[in-house]
Order: sequence, then structure tokens, then C-alpha cells
Amino acid sequence: MNNVNIRDSVRRTEDIRFVSGQGTYIDDMNADGQLVGMFVRSPHAHAAINGFDKTDALALDGVVEVITGADWAKLGFGFIPSNSAVKENTDGTPIAVPERSCLAATRVRFVGEPVAMVIAETLDAAREARDLVEVDYAPLDAVTHPVKALEPGAPQLHNGVDGNLCVHWELGDGDATEAELEASDHVVALELHNNRVTAAPIEPRGTLAIPDMETGVTTIYQSTQNIHALRAAIAKILRLENDQLRHVAPDVGGGFGGKNSLYPEPVVTVYAARNLGRPVKWVNDRSESFLSDTHGRSQYTTVELGLDADGTFRALRTTTIGELGAYCGTVGAFTPTGGSARTQGGVYAFKAMHYRARAGFTNTAPLDPYRGAGRPEGSFQIERIVEKAARDLGFDPIELRRQNIMPKASLPLKTAMGLDVDCGDFLTVFEKTLAMSERAGFAARAAKSEENNKLRGFAIAPYLECTGGMPKEHAIVTFSKNGAAHLAVGSHSTGMGHETALCQILSAELGLDMDHISFTQADTDATPLGGGHGGSRGMELGGNAVRQTADEIVAVGKQIAAYQFECEVGMVDFEDGSFFQPGSNNTMSVGEAVSASFNPDALPDDLAPGCMNIGSTFERGVISIPNGCHAAEVEVDPDTGVIDVIGFWIVDDFGTIINPLLADGQVMGGVGQGLGQAILEQAVYDGDSGQLVTGTFLDYAMPRADDMPHMTLDYYEGSPTEKNPLGVKGAGEAGCCGAPPAIVNAVLDALKDHGVTHIEMPMTPEAVWRSIHLT
Amino acid sequence: MPSVSMTVNGNAVGGDIEARTLLVDFIREHLRLTGTHVGCDTSQCGACVVHVDGTSVKSCTMLALQAEGCQVETIESLADGDTLHPMQEAFREHHGLQCGFCTPGMVMTAVAMAKENPNLTESDVRHGLEGNFCRCTGYQNIVESIIAGAKAMQG
Ligand code: FES
Ligand code: FES
Repeated sequence: MNNVNIRDSVRRTEDIRFVSGQGTYIDDMNADGQLVGMFVRSPHAHAAINGFDKTDALALDGVVEVITGADWAKLGFGFIPSNSAVKENTDGTPIAVPERSCLAATRVRFVGEPVAMVIAETLDAAREARDLVEVDYAPLDAVTHPVKALEPGAPQLHNGVDGNLCVHWELGDGDATEAELEASDHVVALELHNNRVTAAPIEPRGTLAIPDMETGVTTIYQSTQNIHALRAAIAKILRLENDQLRHVAPDVGGGFGGKNSLYPEPVVTVYAARNLGRPVKWVNDRSESFLSDTHGRSQYTTVELGLDADGTFRALRTTTIGELGAYCGTVGAFTPTGGSARTQGGVYAFKAMHYRARAGFTNTAPLDPYRGAGRPEGSFQIERIVEKAARDLGFDPIELRRQNIMPKASLPLKTAMGLDVDCGDFLTVFEKTLAMSERAGFAARAAKSEENNKLRGFAIAPYLECTGGMPKEHAIVTFSKNGAAHLAVGSHSTGMGHETALCQILSAELGLDMDHISFTQADTDATPLGGGHGGSRGMELGGNAVRQTADEIVAVGKQIAAYQFECEVGMVDFEDGSFFQPGSNNTMSVGEAVSASFNPDALPDDLAPGCMNIGSTFERGVISIPNGCHAAEVEVDPDTGVIDVIGFWIVDDFGTIINPLLADGQVMGGVGQGLGQAILEQAVYDGDSGQLVTGTFLDYAMPRADDMPHMTLDYYEGSPTEKNPLGVKGAGEAGCCGAPPAIVNAVLDALKDHGVTHIEMPMTPEAVWRSIHLT
Repeated sequence: MPSVSMTVNGNAVGGDIEARTLLVDFIREHLRLTGTHVGCDTSQCGACVVHVDGTSVKSCTMLALQAEGCQVETIESLADGDTLHPMQEAFREHHGLQCGFCTPGMVMTAVAMAKENPNLTESDVRHGLEGNFCRCTGYQNIVESIIAGAKAMQG
């Protein structure tokens, strides 16, 4: 018997196949009679297309079809949609959402934009044919910098979009913030850049589309994280009904937001398969991934903090320029606007806040969510300005934070950004992190560093974020007569371990043996709806959907038990997998109830056989507020500029922890990506040519094992949220929020005697060295 | 087309292949052993690591023809039926994987590392993973898995 509870560190079920090479990722799948697709991509950042010539490509042995942008345009299909939650500018006018075709026909706007698809019998033939498709380009001037793109005279990307501006937007009370800043004894300002990065899951994107010519249904296997929404989007573009497409994600090798969006390639792949009546498979290689995957972050921001002489914060004003890339992505304009604005101010109390954003189009790959989608930017902005205020004005950075953290007694509250902060104890979390971080020994460690001609620094960075993603989730439990249960959910793990965590919840709620629960996710045939992955919604939506379904199963089980016990339903209790009638010897296990549920004779009149097979949709009321605190200790070599992150301490408040082992994994993985953004990673475009300079893993610096410190983790579990029955707050994106400011501020602490007050991310050795020696 | 023969996971295999066929493509496409993964095209990520004559090799950096007559071991060879290899077991026990895409390469690298030095330190492991990317885990649990797995391999 393998019964588990909430908060057990249950080892993962899925690992058995993953560690033995038995996972099934998209490139591991093949279908009989399959064709191979490849995309011809624009080599120009900006160009008009005068024409296509596919004669040579089509003449090649083994080539079945070539679909150019011009061909695609003639088919008259729809455009790639953008579903930004922010739809209007400040003045009420609609934001600009230019049309984006799956294959560009007349103009390309970024290097890597697909202009044609070749379909061949073999990969080799497809590859050769790709080079034979002739596209007549007339290059145009390009702009790749988000600030320059909004300047007068910048090359214009889209007809009808003035000045490349997609959105101008604000949140908070501008007048009140201005007044509070005026009334402040000090106003500290900082300009900073949140560097452009990319999710770079190790598995590239890909699709296998298998048409069934008899039923007319095409099954799409795709490495994605959002199958229901993307099926609807693909169907809409291709003018199909949803039920003409079944969308399934096999094992997915990481996503982090980079597989959320609707991309052009799967749409054309599905069309090609249906049109040719044969399965078609396309898988990106890594170089194409860098060019064509969405990128994330990228904001140029001015932050102003107003505070009293005694250090009390009064007001915060953030003015930022974000970018969309060449087109609006699936979430599009939301990330640099609402996505960043909501959690402005972090864990601190402010009388007033104001956030103002503009975001425009650049000749670069589209930007869309990357782990945190705006909240890491917000967290970086507040923690950097607080650190700067402390340094400039002579406050102790720890003390200044302590003094301004929202007290527990002030909760629940609505922040000046309208965020509903229901619970938490930010000060306790802060103190706990500080206590863990061995401050007492710092001076001795710093002295030791100095002996070795190194500089040591420390910083602490509390963060406050919020969950997101689709607000509904569905779970279905189907029992077999022998009592085995099958759980199907519409939420989606791309590595987080839902196969374990969600079955763990079901096991705990029903007292079922984990080993007797099987699992399906990410299949439009398995659940009527599903929100996939995004916004740290896995446990908040998926977990609560499972729990709600379990509750409904228990309610039916009670009716079955009451019928057998010959008592009122209200007299039946349920605990540890047993229905029982207190004060009697009547008991019935879940297994017995399940077998009774298939036997018409054992059921009251109002229940039908199979009545314990239940599907239920959970709907979130209000998003929850994960929060926590990170602290970093670093050593900097002033001669080389190399940063060594030596110590890292984390305390998180995710409400109820379902499985600590898996929560740890989320936190540490997020810190890895946060560290990457802080000191290593940047997607760089050449300003003149618009070429992506960081187009391979040779140029794009991924964090490696020896870049990472040993992390010490703990949780604060004193404030489970009442916003959902499980009390969970979402764990997936926290690491990316805390790590960048903790590391950057720690480096600046190390450099404080050199008069260095700011270095942009990524803090490469060169950037650090220059700041020490050339300023 | 030239022909190639080698031993993969104890089985004699071979066939006529294009001379340009990479070892990883031979393993994945010709032998349909899909546990060995491809995560890049510049030999950086390490998802494709296998053992060739006992040494860990990125199978995307080698032509299949160069493995002529060699003993090749892939991730599929490690478990003994349903019994996982101690290194595989350690990865599961220590949550050394999330999406699992880097995992076959990590485990194969780890087994080679452990065979060379059973008493691995944290720093040995971190440096030994120079050629393996993981985007999911932040590496800490991979490091713990490898140290524990190396110990378990001795016992
Ligand atoms: S596939 Fe990336 S190193 Fe071989
Ligand atoms: S577990 Fe996903 S890349 Fe390592």
C-alpha cells in the first residue's frame, strides 16, 4: 500500500521513464508514411519580398511540396492571434496589433521569420531543398533597440502603426504619486535595463501532425505547454472546427514560457499534413530556436523612489519602455504593462505608486512570457532602487528594508497597484532568510577575501509576486471496477512533476494507493478544457481541480455508503480512505464504494452505475500572492571581473507545500535562470544588420553547474491562502524574481569601495572589470 | 554508401549509411534508440552523451563511421530489466531531473565520472559537468545525485 499525504516528498513517478531513456519527446515520435518539414527563414531583419521561386527546390528528388509565403497568402487563412489582457491604451484607443501571417509573403521583419515551408520524404532532402528556395528580398533599414524604435525617424515596421508604438499604458494614481514625490525629503532615481533573454529549454520546439482522412480529424503532437488554447487558435486560423483537431503534448523537455505561444510553424505543419494527406513532422534545430523562439524581458526603465528623512517610503514611480519584437506574441502587450505593473513596490508599503509603460515594435523575434513574465522585472526595479537609496542616503540596506516592509497586521490590503494581498508575513520571511545567511561570520569572510585580493559582498532581496494563467481547470477521475483510478487534467507539466504531485493530491484526498493511479495530461480528447501551464498555475488550478473532483467523489461515495448503511447521507463521515457512520460499526472503504458504484443493485435510485467517475472544473476567484526572500553572498575578482556566487539562501511562502522535494526543484531551477539573467545571459542583436549575435550556445551563455552556488532553502508555511481550498500560492516563477536583484545588489555591495553604484545585467566579467577600472 | 558495424548495448548492429551520418543520428534514427537526445547543433549541451569504448562522448561530435568496431553504450543499457542502475536510482531519489531531456546525457556523463573517481566531491562534479546543460534544475540536485550515485555504484 502506498498511501501518501500532502507535504510528503514523494519521489516522482515519471522519473522511471526519464532516467532510463524511455521518455517520449516530440522528436522521438514518428508516424508511418511521415514526411519531413523544414522552414525557410528570413536572413534579413527587415526586407520587402519581391517574389519567390521554388522551381529548383521542387525539382529535387524526394521533395513533395513547397509552400511559400505567396502561396500561403492565396489560401486566405487567418493570422496569428494575440490575446493580451491589456487591450487599450491609456486614452482608451485600442493597442496596435499588426497582422502576422504564418509565412511572410511581402515583407519580413526579423531574422528567422518563416517565409516558406519545404516538405520532403527525408530530412536530408528537406534540408537541401530549403537552400534551393529562392526569395527575392529588397533589404530595408532595421531597428532592433526598443528605445530607438520609438524615436522619431526610426525605421517603421508596420503600415498603420505610428512610430512603431504598440501600447502606452499606465496604472496607479499619477497625481497622488507626483504629490507624494514632491512631499518627500529625498527622491532617488535610477535608470536600469532588464536584459533581453530567452527561455532556451533544452528540447527545441516541434510538431508531428497526423491526418486521418476517414474521420477528417488531425492529431497534432506538439512540444508545447498550452494545448487547448493553441488548438482553438490553430483551428481558427485554418478555418476548422475545434473537433477536427486533437492536440496532444507528449513529454515536453522544458518550456518556461517559451512554449506558451502560438507559433507559425505548427500551423503550417498541420495544414501541410491535411493537404497532403500524410503525416508531417517538423522539429527545430537549436540555431532556429534562438532565431524563432520568443524572447523575454527587455525593458529600459527609470525608477523613482520618494522617502522621508527617516527612511520611510512614500511613493514609487516607474517609467518603462518595453518591446514586442516584430509582432505581438500570444500574451503580447501584457507583459511590459500589466505583467510588470501589478507587483510594483514588492513587499513594501507605499502611499502612492504609478507605473507608466510604452512598448513598441523592433526588428527582432517576438517577445512573450518567460518565467515570471513581468514580475521579475518589477522585482528587479524595486530592489535595485531600494538598494540605491540605501547607498546614496547612507541607510543600512537591511535596516531600510526592514523598516518599510508591509507589516503582517496591515494585511489583507489592496496595494496602490490594485493587487489583492490577502496574507503573508513578509517581515518574518525576511528575518528568517537573514538568520539563515550567516551574517555573523561575514566580516571574517570578507577579510579573508581581501587577503586573497578579492571583494566580498552580500545582499538580501525580498520579493512579492502573483500567480496568473487561465483561471479555470478541469480534472476527471475514472475508476476501473478493480478500484484503479485514472486522473486526467488540463493543466500541464513540462518538467515540474504533476504526474506525481497531482496523483499525490488525489491519493491523499481519497486514501488511494499512488501506485493505482494512472495519469493523463495535455490531451484535448482527455479533458474538455485545460489551461496548460503558465503563471505558476499548476498546483493553484490543477491541484485545486483535483481536490475539488476528489471532494465530489467523496460526496457520491457517502451516498453509496449511506444506502448500504441504511442511514441518512448526513450521518456518513469520510476519513483516511474509509466511509463510516460514527457510533456504529458501519464502514466502507473507497475501493468498496468504487465497486459498488458499478453495481446497480448497490446504488440508490438517483445514482447510475459509474457514478464515481467524475469530472469537475475549478475556477479561481482571485490570484494568489507567492512571496519570499533571497539572499546572496558573492566574491568578485577585481583583476578579472569574474563573479563567484558563493552562498545563496531562500525562504519562500508558497502557502501549502504539496511536495517539498518538487517545490525545492522549482525554486532552485528558477534561481538558475535568475542567476543566468544576472551575470551570464543576453540575447544580442547587431544594431546595424539586425542579425542575432547570440545565435548558438557558444554565444548565449547558459548557466553551467559550476556557475551555480549551493543553495539553502526553507519555507514559511504560516500563511496558507484562503483564496483556494488547498491554500497554495504557486511556486514556479519565484526563483526568477528573487535571484537577479539579490545577486546584482551583492556584487554592487562588493564593489562599493570602488565607487561603483550600478552595472547593467548581465554582469559579465568585462562589465564588472570596466566598472572598476574605467569609471 | 559505406557500411558500418559496431556493438550497441551489447548487440551487434550495422548497415549502409551516408558517410556524413553522425553517431547520434545512427543511434536515434537507424537503431531507434531515442533515449539519447539532441539539444543543440554546436556540441554544447551534452544531451547526446553516450559511452564509446567506456569513455563518455558527445555522440553529435562523432561520425557513426568513426565508431566502427567500437562498443557503444547508451542510456537504454543501464537498467537491468526493471531494476534501475544505482546512478539512475540516485537521480530519482535526489530529484536530479525535471523535464528529463538533459537526463540521459547527465546520467551517462555521471556514470563515466564515477567510474573514474568513485569519491567525487561537489567541486569535481560541478567541473565534470562543464559539457552538460540543464535548464530546469539549477544543477544542485544533479550534483547531489551524482555524488550519491557514485557511492552507490561502489557498494
Ligand atoms: S546534441 Fe548538444 S552536445 Fe550533442
Ligand atoms: S531536467 Fe530539464 S533540462 Fe535538465
